[in-house]
Amino acid sequence: MSRRSTSRFRRHFAGHCALALVAGLWACAAAQGGDAGPAATAIVSLGVEPCEITLSGNNRQQQLLLTVHRADGRLLDVTRLAELSIESPGVARAVDGRLAAVADGETELTVSHAGLERRIPVRVQGCDSYPPVHFANDVLPLFSKLGCNSGGCHGKASGQNGFKLSVFGFDPAADYDAIVKQARGRRLFPASPRHSLLLAKATARLPHGGGQRMAEDSGDYQLLLAWIAQAAPLGDDDAPSVAAIRVSPSQRVLAPSSQQQILATAVYSDGSLCDVTAAATYTTNAPLVADVQSGGLAETGQVPGEAAITVNYMGHVAVVAFQVPRPEAPAVYPDLPVHNPIDELVWSKLRNMGILPSELADDATFLRRLYLDTIGTLPAPEEVRAFLSDPAPDKRGRWIEAVLARDEYADYWALKWADVLLVDRKQLGERGAFELHRWLRRQFAANRPYDEWVQELITAGGNSAREGPVNFFRAVRTPEELARNVSQAFLGVRIECAHCHHHPFEKWSQTDFYGLAGFFSGIERKTISEGRELVYHAGYRETRLPLTGAVVPTRPLDGQVPSDLETVDPRLRLAEWMTAPENPWFSRLAANRLWKHFLGRGLVEPEDDLRTTNPATNEPLLDHLARQLAADGYDLKSLMRLILNSRVYQLSSVPNDSNRDDEQNFSHYYVKRMPAEVLLDAISQATGTSEVLAGYPPGTRAIALWDNRLPSYFLEIFGRPERNSPCECGRSSEPTIAQALHLMNAPEVEQKISSAGGSVARLHDEHSDDARIVEELCLAALGRRATEREIDVARELFSQAPRREAAEDFLWTLLNSYDFLFVH
Amino acid sequence: MLPAFCDGIDRRGFLRVGSVAGLSLSQFLRCKQAAAAEGRETRDVNCIFIFIVGGMPHQDMWDLKPEAPAEIRGDFKPIDTAVPGLYVSDVLPRVATVTDKLAILRGLTHGDSDHGRGFHVMMTGLAPGAGDFNGNQNNNQHPCFGSMVAHLDRGPGALPPYISVPNFLNSGGPAFLGAGCAPFVIESDPAAPDFSVRDITLPEEITDPRSQRRQAALRQVNRFRRRVEEISSQVRSLDTFYEKAYSLMTSEAARQAFDIGREADSVREEYGMTSLGQCCLLSRRLVEAGCRFVSIENGHWDTHRKNTESLRELLVPSFDRAIAALLTDLERRGLLDSTLVVITTEFGRTPRINELAGRDHWPQAFSICLAGAGIKMGQAVGATDKHAAYVADRPVTPADMAATILTVLGIDPLTELETPLGRPVQLVSGGRAVAEVLS
Repeated sequence: MSRRSTSRFRRHFAGHCALALVAGLWACAAAQGGDAGPAATAIVSLGVEPCEITLSGNNRQQQLLLTVHRADGRLLDVTRLAELSIESPGVARAVDGRLAAVADGETELTVSHAGLERRIPVRVQGCDSYPPVHFANDVLPLFSKLGCNSGGCHGKASGQNGFKLSVFGFDPAADYDAIVKQARGRRLFPASPRHSLLLAKATARLPHGGGQRMAEDSGDYQLLLAWIAQAAPLGDDDAPSVAAIRVSPSQRVLAPSSQQQILATAVYSDGSLCDVTAAATYTTNAPLVADVQSGGLAETGQVPGEAAITVNYMGHVAVVAFQVPRPEAPAVYPDLPVHNPIDELVWSKLRNMGILPSELADDATFLRRLYLDTIGTLPAPEEVRAFLSDPAPDKRGRWIEAVLARDEYADYWALKWADVLLVDRKQLGERGAFELHRWLRRQFAANRPYDEWVQELITAGGNSAREGPVNFFRAVRTPEELARNVSQAFLGVRIECAHCHHHPFEKWSQTDFYGLAGFFSGIERKTISEGRELVYHAGYRETRLPLTGAVVPTRPLDGQVPSDLETVDPRLRLAEWMTAPENPWFSRLAANRLWKHFLGRGLVEPEDDLRTTNPATNEPLLDHLARQLAADGYDLKSLMRLILNSRVYQLSSVPNDSNRDDEQNFSHYYVKRMPAEVLLDAISQATGTSEVLAGYPPGTRAIALWDNRLPSYFLEIFGRPERNSPCECGRSSEPTIAQALHLMNAPEVEQKISSAGGSVARLHDEHSDDARIVEELCLAALGRRATEREIDVARELFSQAPRREAAEDFLWTLLNSYDFLFVH
Repeated sequence: MLPAFCDGIDRRGFLRVGSVAGLSLSQFLRCKQAAAAEGRETRDVNCIFIFIVGGMPHQDMWDLKPEAPAEIRGDFKPIDTAVPGLYVSDVLPRVATVTDKLAILRGLTHGDSDHGRGFHVMMTGLAPGAGDFNGNQNNNQHPCFGSMVAHLDRGPGALPPYISVPNFLNSGGPAFLGAGCAPFVIESDPAAPDFSVRDITLPEEITDPRSQRRQAALRQVNRFRRRVEEISSQVRSLDTFYEKAYSLMTSEAARQAFDIGREADSVREEYGMTSLGQCCLLSRRLVEAGCRFVSIENGHWDTHRKNTESLRELLVPSFDRAIAALLTDLERRGLLDSTLVVITTEFGRTPRINELAGRDHWPQAFSICLAGAGIKMGQAVGATDKHAAYVADRPVTPADMAATILTVLGIDPLTELETPLGRPVQLVSGGRAVAEVLS
């Protein structure tokens, strides 16, 4: 069920890191091969990380990372293949690609593989005693690794069977108290450490709801035992803390069914380094492509693709990116046509992955796609005809311009953004929802720069019945919710996690969350009348952490505390920081949203979850799009133009043998469903009828509705969102039985098909030629000429029933066909 | 419309084409298979979930306090039942004869006296955060039990896994599980003479041969596209639902399940020709045909005024008849062991009768009932104080109730779901199944 596959509970060695490895281990020279043959796969050198080893303390081990370099540039992990020998086995020993301390002394490690050899100096010290254990630095990470403090176990708000830890160990003081002092101190037994309840439960010597979390012969057990034996110290306040972690390799191209060791090194606040490979936790986002075990050993499967392995140690995270190309990649990759830089960046990725893109989509498919994606509208039959008969080679570009200039553009994009900004009539009242929607529509109608309208929105104030954007602060009412929504809607940072605990996959803490919430702390609302409020900044207020009451400085994520919080509306400073060109999230999220909208899948998925541990499938492309958006003054249409004109956008949805399984590199167009409103409009358009929307003038399009609660069975079952979550995820594109039944059998749909003023009736009266009726219906519903097969099907229908009835049956068939229901 | 649906079996006999292909076994089913392989007990349990909307008066139906002062005990008197020593209200004479098939939980308690929030907590087991939950179509905070079931086990056959009758139940939505786990809502009262199920029959002007022509044409047109874009999971998934919809239209068993007119008049009358009565009967037909979870809405129980009169004359008689008939009928047909019946509500009603002779909202203590599916029946669990105001013994929280329901349905309440934010949430947080009713 979970996307992630974690193996936290296998054998591992938890390390205490009091002293440092020698720094600078990343720059060792590799041993050069003597006579590298001419073959591309010949091995030319052997690299060893680290290139000097110091083990301090009798529990210390060092993971090695051994890599051979091939003549063709490929790097292969040989950590478990190379031969390891220690000059003085009395000082250290090598097991499974790791080096463990035996006794104090100095010696040399020799690594040999494929005729190459490397010698590494090894020093062991402090081996006669277990080093002092530090609670926050050593014990807490263990609880995270073993899952003890996860939300499902002792980390949940109510704890588990009376033993409560802070989730992911965000509150060391409380955890220390819980383990050492609570329950009358019965959890530890310093007089006989191994009889401590904590150990008895964790090893399942006593019945434990969570089962056995560690074995008695494990390093983890030794660590806890040593800690209790040392009288369970909290640890030195001045002890260096983890400042960052480094991983090696950071990226690598791997063959299917191969192994790759990951080396994780913690960098401490005093600059010292320590191997934490065994103590870190590893998570993959694509277990079929590359799975990872505890201890950092990754294994690729049979499925080509990409996987990002997140390495987490004490709230610090790093990512290892693996690529597994298709094994049967074309020997000579063709030169592909390039419309603009998007194509170059996508082709480059496809070349690496050994995938060929599909052909260019035909004109009719392209036109329907362009219309539906850009303005949520089907092309009219006469538009299809005009486009198909336009002989000019630059016609796609010209039609892109024409479609971007259409009125429906503002309706469609206001609808999309109304989802994100929670334009919900139930929350805002009619006037509020109407005004916010109208304001949004105006921004798109004028193609106002994205940064400008976001600034206006974030800093809005005044009467909600007059100022549309003010209603954003009525839909979202507390500083905490505003921090959450603004961060997710405009930055793609899901800071919400850090509302209650440290973000599980990111560096964000509660301080970051409340620091952001502080920008909204001065907002007040006064009721003017039913459904109308005055929203204003009443003066800056301090923000405090709920648990400790500590004052949190108001500052943007990774940013500085503004100097004039007391004298200006702090939202101004937030808006400036958000929309600054150097903001790492603002333009990336907007670019990713647009990419997902047009290409069907975000470069980052979910589209509003940007973080280092969730990398884009094509980082250079997302970078390019984001930079382009900022460089173009946040002109959204300009970025759309770039995307729409790319060959990548215009590829066919029909896959070839090499890209059939590709779902992340945009090698072909990914078929998608129409949103509820677009589909309803499309049915009306194809049947030549207009939907009656209660309280709206006849002919009103569903995409132009401001009222998300307008009673409509159709919109409900096709997944119109309730607009209560600041993401596009509320809009369901899942098919249901009710949808299929409705399209096939609903009297409402049947009435449209057989309507006296509808397209069938009109065509029936206008044309005596059956073929012409078929042609027109195909143009109206599918945006293309009828295929041979459709003509045959129609002929069959027309032979079995009166013309009018047969035409209705044919239109029914088209409306229920995949070609109609999907954007191809 | 009724005849078109009820007598139309032969007239609308479709050829059944294809099978319900492409549905892979859910993880839940795989777990079930694994459990069976290990020799652990597995069984398919369906659920009929009856929600008394407005607040069911515990002290007037299930938890009478004859010793309390008149303004508290009200007008109802305890009567003997099929189980010696177990009393219910004199307004439940028929239920009194089947208490051997009922477990009454008298210690329900939660903290929310608002209808909408009460719906949410009793439909999902999770107390909602801030907000208005009246008219809540898609529980934004947590999926309801029916959606959890639909997510984990779509059931055999053509019927949707989660059906709501006659209307959508407040907070009966799927939350982040998505539209695929939303209920199939009948939106028609089976007691009404023109009862029909939306969209499962053809529009009036479409004859069977004409529909067959359309379906044949559709298969022809789609065949090519299915081949070229077979890789798209979207297309495959829609395909599956079209197949399902088509089999729902054409499957004899499925259509007959909805066709309440096939029941003998005597059976229909046994349940009572009331909304609740016919909904209960329809639910029995649906679970019999393989639907996993049927929810029934029964409204207008918010007796802020004229409590006694409303209960005696309007509300309880149809309830009494329907529930007694349902339990008797399920047992008679051998379905009681595999069907969990839940009779629940958003809260109870105030101990003291107000000046309008009504009772107001009271979540501090109230009663619900469970039956069937191996529940230990013929007992009351928990007790309230002398005024039925607070729980004196064995409090049961909505989360406990949720854990109980899911456990009986064979679902581990600690099963984790993932929210769109990527946060793992358990089906039930902080609840424990009520051991006293589990066999």
